[in-house]
Amino acid sequence: MRTTCPYCGVGCQVEPEIQGGRILRVLAPDIPPNHGALCVKGRFGLDFPFSGKRLLYPMVREDRHQAFRRVSWDEALDFTANKLLAVLKRRGPEAIAVFPSAKTTNEEVYLTQKLARALLSTNHVDHCSRLCHSSSTVALSRSLGGASMTNPLEDIWKTDLFLVVGSNTTETHPVIGAMIKKRVRQGAGLIVVDPRYTGMAEAATLWLRVRPGTDLFLLNAMARYILEEGLWDQGYVEERTEGFAAWRASLEAYTLEEAEGITGVEKEKIALAARLYATTERAGAYWAMGVTQHTKGTATAQALVNLALLTGKVGKEGAGLNPLRGQNNVQGAGDMGGLPDVLPGYLKVAEEAGRKRFEALWGVGLNPEPGLRMTEVFQRIPEVEAIYLIGEDPVTSEPYQDHLKAKLEALPFLVVQDILENETTSFAHVVLPAASFLEKDGTFTNTDRRVQRIRKLLDPPGEARPDWWILQELGRRLAQALGRPWASYPGPEAIWEEVRRAIPEMMGGITYRRLEREGVRWPCPHEDHPGEAVLFRERFNTPTGKARFFPVHYTPPAETPSQDYPLTLSTGRVLFHWHGGTLSRNSQLQEAYPELKVEVNPKDAGRLGIQDGEIIQVVSRRGRIRARAWVTDRTPEGVVYAPFHFAEAPANRLTLDALDPFSRIPEYKVAAVRLEKLD
Amino acid sequence: MRLRVNGQEVEAQEGTLLLEITDPPHLCYHPHTETRGICRLCLVEVDGRLLPACTTQAQEGMEVRTDTQELQTLRRTLLEWLALTTDLGQAPSLLALLKAHHGQPQRWGKLPLNRREREPIRDNPFFLRDYAKCVNCRLCVDACGDGIMGVYALALEGRGLMAHPTTPLDRPLPETPCVFCGNCLQVCPTGALRPLSAEV
Repeated sequence: MRTTCPYCGVGCQVEPEIQGGRILRVLAPDIPPNHGALCVKGRFGLDFPFSGKRLLYPMVREDRHQAFRRVSWDEALDFTANKLLAVLKRRGPEAIAVFPSAKTTNEEVYLTQKLARALLSTNHVDHCSRLCHSSSTVALSRSLGGASMTNPLEDIWKTDLFLVVGSNTTETHPVIGAMIKKRVRQGAGLIVVDPRYTGMAEAATLWLRVRPGTDLFLLNAMARYILEEGLWDQGYVEERTEGFAAWRASLEAYTLEEAEGITGVEKEKIALAARLYATTERAGAYWAMGVTQHTKGTATAQALVNLALLTGKVGKEGAGLNPLRGQNNVQGAGDMGGLPDVLPGYLKVAEEAGRKRFEALWGVGLNPEPGLRMTEVFQRIPEVEAIYLIGEDPVTSEPYQDHLKAKLEALPFLVVQDILENETTSFAHVVLPAASFLEKDGTFTNTDRRVQRIRKLLDPPGEARPDWWILQELGRRLAQALGRPWASYPGPEAIWEEVRRAIPEMMGGITYRRLEREGVRWPCPHEDHPGEAVLFRERFNTPTGKARFFPVHYTPPAETPSQDYPLTLSTGRVLFHWHGGTLSRNSQLQEAYPELKVEVNPKDAGRLGIQDGEIIQVVSRRGRIRARAWVTDRTPEGVVYAPFHFAEAPANRLTLDALDPFSRIPEYKVAAVRLEKLD
Repeated sequence: MRLRVNGQEVEAQEGTLLLEITDPPHLCYHPHTETRGICRLCLVEVDGRLLPACTTQAQEGMEVRTDTQELQTLRRTLLEWLALTTDLGQAPSLLALLKAHHGQPQRWGKLPLNRREREPIRDNPFFLRDYAKCVNCRLCVDACGDGIMGVYALALEGRGLMAHPTTPLDRPLPETPCVFCGNCLQVCPTGALRPLSAEV
C-alpha cells in the first residue's frame, strides 16, 4: 500500500512491504514527486517504528526526580489536563506553550494549534521550522506575501540554470539533488554557492566557495553588478515591484572588489555568476539552511529574493524562488497555523478578519497577541511554566545544549508526546506514546505544496495512539473544564473536512478522494481546480499585488574566530541520518554511519598533527565533544564541519544561541572552536 | 501520425516508442533509465526487419507485427538462454514468460562457463548483489548513472558469459560513490539486487 516517506520535504511516495512485524522491502510507485526514485533513508530507513525504543504506555510523575509511573490513558490525560488548567488559572495563557510537529500530519497540527488557541487561549505555538526556514519565511512573506516554493519540482526539467545557495541537496534532499544533477547532464547550468565541496559543488558548472556566513555580501554584489551592466529586467521591476529605488541606493558599498575581500571568491567568478543568472530566462534559485541559519539569515534570504525580483525570475516556469523545506511536513505545519503569529492559511492572529473567521468556526474568542517563537519560549522558562511538546527533541536540536538543559530542568511542567524515547524524554512529567506514520491516516504537505496521503499499514504497538486521537481526548477534557466548545472527530478525514471549510481558498478543492490517486498542490480552491503549480504569475499576494524590495546589509557572524578558538564550526547533516537522529539512528541506517565524524581540512589537520580517523575533541566557549576526525578538503581551511545527529556527541553543545532579529533562528552555521588532540 | 500494428490502424504521437503502443515482452526497458535495446526480448517486425520496440520510435506508415511465428521462436530461444545461464528463481515474471513460450532450456546442453555459480556479494548493510541471478539487462547501471542518480557506482565488467554489472574495479560498494539509494534494486527485474531485510 502506498504512503508518504516521513523523512524530508521532498515527500517521496513509498510502498513498504510489511510482513511479520518487519519491513521486507520498500519500492516506490511511478508517480510524482519521485517517480520511482528514493534515497537511502526512504529505501532503508523506514524501520524505526519497530525499534525497541518505542514509547508504549502513557507515563506520569509529579517531578523530574521521581521515576515514571505507567498509567492508563484516562489517568495520563486527566493528569495533563489538570496540570495545564492549573497553570492557566494561576498564570494565564502566557505561561503555556504548545509545539506541534512538522513530523505529524496536517490534521494533527491543525488540531494542536486549535487546542492551544481555542482552549488554552495561547498563541505560543511553534514548531521546528523555526530552526530551519523561518528566515526564508520572513523574507518571502514580506516581499511576495507567501512563503513556499514558488515553483513545482517538475519545473526542474524546464530550468536552464540552477542557483543553489547553502544547500547540500544531494544529502539533505537527495531525490531533488539527483533531479537537478540529471537536468545538468542534459545541459543546464549549475551555480553552487557553498563553503563546502558537496555533491552539488562537484556537479556544478561554477562553484563559488564563499567563506562561511558571507553569502549575503556575494548576493548583494551580484545584484549591484547586474544593475551596473544593465542586465536587469527593467519592465518587470517597473510593473511588478516596489521599493526599488531605496534598495538600489543601498547597494553602493557592494562592489566586486569588496566582495572578493569579504567572501574569498574571485571577482571574475562573482561577475560570471551574476551574468549567467541575469541572462538565463529560466533560472531557478534553490536554497536551504546554509542561507537561513545565521544571525543574518533573513537578510541573506532577502538578498536572494531581491536578486530574483531584479532579474524578473518570479512567476515564471522553470525559475522562481525555491526554499527546500526540511521536515516531511514543515510546509503543512505552517499552512495549518503551527506558528505563533498566524492561524491556518497564514491569517494573522493580530488582524481581526482572520480571527473573526476562526472565532466563528470554533465558537470561541481568540487571543489577538502573537505568541512567542520556539527559541524565545525556551529562553523565557520559568516564566513559561508548561510546555506541551509533540514530536520534537529540543535537547538535541536547539543550540547551546547545556543552557537549554538547565532551562528544561527549571521548567515546572513538560509534556512529551512522541513515538520514540529521545534526549528530551528524561525531562518530561508526562509521556504520551504516539503512533508512527505507518500506524495512522492523514496528510503531509511536501516542499512544493503538494498535499499527499499517508495511510495506516499497521496497528500501533502497546498502547500508542495517533496524535490526533490524543489531542482530541485532551481537548475534550480541557473543553469540559473550561466550558468551551470542542468538536469530536471520528477520524483524520473529518478533521481535514474542517480544514477545507476553514481555508477554502487554499484547500477547498482537496478531498481525500482526490488524494487517492496522487497528491494535489495548494492553492486549490475548488474540486475542479488542478492545484496551482507556479505561484505569482499575475500578481503577488501583497496588498498592492506588487513584490517588495528590502535593503539588507552584511554583518559579520555573532562569533568570529579568535586566538583561543581559531576555527569556524559549521553544523549540518549527512546523507544517512536525519536531524536529532531519533528516527534514523533507530533504523537500519545506523549501521552505515554509526558515529560522529567531523570534517577537518588537511591543512588544519597538518598544522595540528591530526591524523585521519583519530579521535579528537572539538571545543567551543560553551562546551566540548569527542569526535572522529575525517581529514578531507570537502571543508575549506579554517572550517570544521560537524553533523548534529549524535546525542552522545552533540554538536549543539558547541553552538551559540545568537538569534536572527527577525526570524529568531539560531546561528547554527558559525561558531568559533578549536580542536584538541586527546593525549 | 498513423501506422499499422498487426494489421490494425493505430494513432501515435511524434517520438512515441513502439513499446508504448505495442505490448511485446521486455526486460531491459525502463521509463527512467536510458534504454539501450539490450535484451532483444521486445523485438518486433517492422516493415520486414526485426527491431527492438524499446528503442524504435513510431513513424508514419510503419507496418509493425508483434507476434509472428518467427518472433515466437526467437523469444523462446532468448528466454531459454536466459534460464540456462541465470538463476531465475526470484524472477517470477520471466519464469512465467518462459513457460508461456514452452521453453526447454536443457535442450541446449551444458555451458562451458556458468554464472549461476557466482557467490552473492554482501559488502554493505543494506542489500546484496547476487550476480548468479543477473541477466545483464543493465537497468541497475543506468539507474545508478545517467538514468537517475548520476552516481556511477556500477559498471559492466567482463566479457561474454562472464559479463556482469559490478562496481568499478570490483571495489566493495562502501568504497565507491554509492549513496545506497537502492534505485538499482527498484529497477532490477530478477532479484539479483535485493534488500537484506527480505532475506530470512
